[in-house]
Amino acid sequence: MSDLDFLALHGLAVRKHGGPATVASLIGADEASVAVALEGAVANGYAAGAKGIFMVAPAGQAYLAEQYPVVFADARGDEAFVNSYERFEKVNVDLLNLMTDWQTMPAGGGRVSNDHSDADYDQGIIDRLGSLHERAERVIGKAADAQPRVGRYLERLEEAYDKVLAGDRDYVSGVRVDSYHTVWFELHEDLLRMLGRTRQE
Amino acid sequence: MSRVIFLDGSSLPDREIIGGKAWSVARMRSLGLRVPPAFVIPVDECRRYHDAGRKLDDELWSDVISGVRAIEEATGRRLGDPDSPLLVSVRSGAAVSMPGMMDTVLNLGITDEVAAGLAQQTGDTKYARDTHARFCHQFGDIVLKADLDPYVAGPTADEVRALVLDDVGEPIPDDPYAQLRAAISAVFDSWESARARSYRKHWGISEIGGTAVTVQAMVFGNLGEGSGTGVLFTRNPLNGDPTPYGEWLPGGQGDDVVGGTHAVLQLDALLEKMPAVHTELLSWANTLEQENREVQDVEFTVEQGRLYLLQTRTAKRSPDAAVRIAVDLVNEGLITEDMAVQRVTAEQVDTVLLPHISAETAATAKVLASGEPACPGVACGIGVVDPDETERRAHAGEEVVLVRPTTSPNDVHGMIASVAVVTDLGGSTSHAAVVTRALGRPSVVGVGDGTAMSMAGKLLTVDGGAGKVYEGRLPLIATEVDEHPTLRTLSAWASERCTVNVVHEFLGSVVDLDADRSAVDAETGKIDVEKLTALLTGAEAAKGGVLNSPEGAQAIAASGIKTVVTPRRLPIQLRLIQQ
Repeated sequence: MSDLDFLALHGLAVRKHGGPATVASLIGADEASVAVALEGAVANGYAAGAKGIFMVAPAGQAYLAEQYPVVFADARGDEAFVNSYERFEKVNVDLLNLMTDWQTMPAGGGRVSNDHSDADYDQGIIDRLGSLHERAERVIGKAADAQPRVGRYLERLEEAYDKVLAGDRDYVSGVRVDSYHTVWFELHEDLLRMLGRTRQE
Repeated sequence: MSRVIFLDGSSLPDREIIGGKAWSVARMRSLGLRVPPAFVIPVDECRRYHDAGRKLDDELWSDVISGVRAIEEATGRRLGDPDSPLLVSVRSGAAVSMPGMMDTVLNLGITDEVAAGLAQQTGDTKYARDTHARFCHQFGDIVLKADLDPYVAGPTADEVRALVLDDVGEPIPDDPYAQLRAAISAVFDSWESARARSYRKHWGISEIGGTAVTVQAMVFGNLGEGSGTGVLFTRNPLNGDPTPYGEWLPGGQGDDVVGGTHAVLQLDALLEKMPAVHTELLSWANTLEQENREVQDVEFTVEQGRLYLLQTRTAKRSPDAAVRIAVDLVNEGLITEDMAVQRVTAEQVDTVLLPHISAETAATAKVLASGEPACPGVACGIGVVDPDETERRAHAGEEVVLVRPTTSPNDVHGMIASVAVVTDLGGSTSHAAVVTRALGRPSVVGVGDGTAMSMAGKLLTVDGGAGKVYEGRLPLIATEVDEHPTLRTLSAWASERCTVNVVHEFLGSVVDLDADRSAVDAETGKIDVEKLTALLTGAEAAKGGVLNSPEGAQAIAASGIKTVVTPRRLPIQLRLIQQ
């Protein structure tokens, strides 16, 4: 399996399912080559696909689990990369708190759903997202120095943040779009897979 | 004439000139309420600063010093005086809030000597040390732009100062006036930060002149007996009950209440200790509610028996409270019926009408798991661990509760297909919680290792608001508008004002948008307003869940359709009135 074949399967696994364009955007490769790689994975029995949408097959999951320690051996042994992952986990706590504050608001000892009627409250959260994004730039930037592919997530986070600034609120925590949280969640999954860590929640 | 404005309430300059924070201080002062004394450097000084090449000119600086003198006179404290120190906050304040603007610097004026003095007066060495370290961190982070981790208590001021010096090569000044000058400049500088500029450009608001700077005395809730801090809601924000509700933390300072770091008391504790302050507080809060015609959330501090209001704003409230308060305010003559039907949103009404489990049912039901409530709502379905199986069975028409040890992006499609989600690990801010809230799926998280697996294959009722998972299908109670005391009133007002005929039943031809989903994107769920408008145009009447959405209301208005058929009239009526 070529590097691209492997990465395409890995990218598909991070997202669970998607078309060549989605996977190409995630791993930062061109769409046509990713399409070929995914077709190849289907031929190997590592993926299943219909109507241009692919998903990882059980055999593909097993193959990835077996290959991760080999393919990502250098990442796992790279102290700088592991350190930047540890810092990512810290920022992750703040990101999740921020997302919670975006979705819910404190009200007299309890919390209520944020109906987005208070522009000042929402702006306060978006301001916080701005500072958090600056921290993310530093942390993910360091991770990308060691593993350049990770830098692709920073570009996608930037795109989500720009959309939020442009007034598209769905790009904070929306599930069906590449929102800030969607991309972050995928980055988290990618890092856990690269480093062979177990999810804590 | 001074180029700074002392905010004593004698005049109320425009919000555009002095910024929101200063305006709010001036307004409270003009209502005769006590707030910590403050002055503001108005917006036009920001441009002058930048025109002069990012320089505070001597004349402005001498006016700033006069402003400090006025605060010193009002408080009886002096900037930099260890025996009676004045500490101030420095805040930005533009007409429009925007990203990239400098955050607040608190406790400016603290130095080694002042910290020692504060320790003596408060009898609280730890407080003085923490305040000093926190100030150094905030000043280093915000004014000097040092790359620091978020503040955690522990390190001393010296340690923080060393970190800052190491990172930016510039020390934190130990002279309060140098601190003040740097903080004011940093506010003006932040106006021209890349992020703020691109935001203004994006929104086409480049013509806004600049930001104001508000300098305000800090008051101390930790000066022994007769001091403390708290928040007051003029009405109960959870149920809307028209009795003030609040929290009081004797000896507390600043963010102690909001930050949830200390155990707080109810407001009655203040009534017991300082009845006069309690009376004054209630009366002032009432003034603010009457003036703003809205339920208020008031932050206050009591310094040695003297009450200060720090901030007031419209209180956040639960959907139940929102309905009750809107109707009560009309009955009390504070707002009109027109205003009431503008204030309550369709989403709030939908939430009040959500089916729920009665207390009697919950008391006798078997609890299979308890955890943290992550997203409110009640749903019932069969427990399934595998997200693919969840999706498959849901598509086949089954109601499925996704029960997971943890959740990853691989589970999201299962969460979308499910009616509710339960996870073993994680708290109310986990990825699972964030995703389920974004989807509006009831969810309970952190029910304990191995619990989810034990619920697989069982019929479950999940109460996301209570954080409970029950065995079996529990009977749910649906609230009806006509049975609800305040919704009934609101519904009558809405019906009088809604120009579209929103009805339960209609004898005639009705376009069924639950059957024709062509205006809804199957993958993203996004509603295409133009397509929907086209479907409605020329029709006699229409029905379908898609109409109870912002896009639905737009399409109804644009199409000119006369009649909408729905089991729930009020949410759609409110959307149409609020168009």
